[in-house]
Amino acid sequence: MWRIGLVGTGTMGSVHAHAYSHMEDAKVVGIVDIDEVAGTELANRYGAVAYSSLEALLAAQEVDVIDVCVPTPWHREYVEKAATAKKHVICEKPLARTLEDAQAMMDACERNGVRLFVGHVVRFFPEYQMAHDAVAAGNLGQIGVVRTMRGGQYPTAWQDWYASPAMSGTLLVDMVIHDFDFLRWCFGDVSRVYAKSMLGRDINRLDHAFVSLRFNSGVIGHVEGTWAYPSGFHTELEIAGQGGLIAHKSDDAVPVHLELRAEQGQGQGVMVPDSPMLKNPYQLELEHFIECLTDGKEARVTPLDAYRALEIGLAALESVQTGQVVELGGVKE
Amino acid sequence: MKVGILSFAHGHAHSYAKSVLALSTRGVQLVAIADDDVARGKAAANQYSCGFYRDYQELLKTDVEAVIVCSENARHAEMVVAAAEAGKHVLCEKPIATTQKDALRMIRACKENGVILQIAFPVRFSRPIARLKEMVDERKLGRIVAVRGTNRGQNPGGWFIDNALSGGGAVMDHTVHVIDVMRWILKSEVREVYAEVDTHFTSIPTDDCGQLVLEFENGVFASHDPSWSRPASYPTWGDVTLEVVGTSGVTNVNAFAQHFDYFGQGPRPYSHQFWGDDMDYLLIRNFVDVVEGKSAPLITGVDGLRALEVALAAYESGRTHKPVPVHRAVLE
Repeated sequence: MWRIGLVGTGTMGSVHAHAYSHMEDAKVVGIVDIDEVAGTELANRYGAVAYSSLEALLAAQEVDVIDVCVPTPWHREYVEKAATAKKHVICEKPLARTLEDAQAMMDACERNGVRLFVGHVVRFFPEYQMAHDAVAAGNLGQIGVVRTMRGGQYPTAWQDWYASPAMSGTLLVDMVIHDFDFLRWCFGDVSRVYAKSMLGRDINRLDHAFVSLRFNSGVIGHVEGTWAYPSGFHTELEIAGQGGLIAHKSDDAVPVHLELRAEQGQGQGVMVPDSPMLKNPYQLELEHFIECLTDGKEARVTPLDAYRALEIGLAALESVQTGQVVELGGVKE
Repeated sequence: MKVGILSFAHGHAHSYAKSVLALSTRGVQLVAIADDDVARGKAAANQYSCGFYRDYQELLKTDVEAVIVCSENARHAEMVVAAAEAGKHVLCEKPIATTQKDALRMIRACKENGVILQIAFPVRFSRPIARLKEMVDERKLGRIVAVRGTNRGQNPGGWFIDNALSGGGAVMDHTVHVIDVMRWILKSEVREVYAEVDTHFTSIPTDDCGQLVLEFENGVFASHDPSWSRPASYPTWGDVTLEVVGTSGVTNVNAFAQHFDYFGQGPRPYSHQFWGDDMDYLLIRNFVDVVEGKSAPLITGVDGLRALEVALAAYESGRTHKPVPVHRAVLE
């Protein structure tokens, strides 16, 4: 049984806690949150103990893995603390807000002989995994153009940190990094990035971005990200090759639609899309990481993959800010 | 009103010919077709029961009031200038021309001879696109901040992949429609273009895919995919879609969404059967209205020029790998 210490009880912390509760060989034993009420609530729900600091958890309990689900700027601090305490680390994406932090985190884990797993969960979404496998099998032949879209309404979270470019890096570094990682998985490294977004355009709490990518392999990519929709969450993926075309729209793949009539005087009814699966992608991801710990095998997404995806996200952000193309030259190994 | 068609090199000529015939109750007549491809021209003349000329100059000597030019892109200028000099109103297939210089020559000739020059951008007549325009004009979406377009299709082959006649491949063929619609809706010109351009889907001597990122003068940014990336099994020829993001909301428009699914047999067993309004017919009807003085010109030669200039900038960016300012010609 792998004993997990979970840090952060926001959206991802809660999703991870729920996923662990369905896993056979992992259990959340301690939960850390600076908000003691939130920490205690989640800990009670999953039979864990709440702590107000990682130090307190490490002092009080034996754990094997620290799962870091705090806002991005604090990833480095917690990952370094966990590594120093010789605990394996699972860290939410993006790995960090800066390449310097990302490198320091990778170095700290290597130095301390612990594993580092980064939550690029899109690689564990069945539709994306199948698309990757079809590309890898050569079913689509030479690939020409790939397009992705991801987003929905503007996210709200602790201290509105998503709204701070300094903290989140905007949707380019925080959200469409999923697509950057997925596309790198399928098509290899990116050579050229050009992007436009609403950053600096004097509009509050709305963001939308178009990112043009050119891969070393010649593939042309277009990544669209949005926090400008009034509601919902949508993803799209299209891969066009000489031998065929894969097209996916999340809205077209919802198997269960529920529409509830509004109660008298309750205003509008609600629509809830539901896509039930035996295991959700977060559970598949965490099970894979635990399996890698057990077997010692390399993860589907490595720390270097996460570093490279961050590199693309930061290049897109730089392109938005400078209006120039960013060349991603020297791939360091 | 007597109409002639100059060349059937572009397949849209058939759709326009049918649209002219559909206006016969209004007294519109397809009088003759000119085509230096004699077999192609005679077959079309036979199909639409009209006269045939091998030499378009001979057709221009007749009493037609207007001509529709559907030659290869690089030959638009020669025919449009000749038609203008013969005093004929002109509807010219897009793109207006393959060079800025030719486009300016065409605009000048039509102006000097007092004839109408309209460019065939039928997408403006798509009812879903027109509805989008209304929504934006009524500010239903608030202030527009970003637009994403696609106009994908399949490699048409023939002269379309011969740069000397087409002026370019997918980027030339499929950029101008959507750029025209974006300009029309945003009431602004494209300031700068970045593009990736390549040939990936087939071994042809011109581009078959690309990806444009655009900045408009009014601060709206946009992207557009003009690739010939649809496989042969795709259920329709391609698409025209626009996603428009505003401060009050977002709209997604698919100009060809009005279809049912057809599951048959043969090489394309699954296909989309479009049942929406015929935008080509509405384009031709508007052209007739303009020639008859019943409507102000909606799509001018300058609109054709501006869309062409964006496509040319995209090619320049595709070569230099840098964002390129659109070099807009100063009009006299």
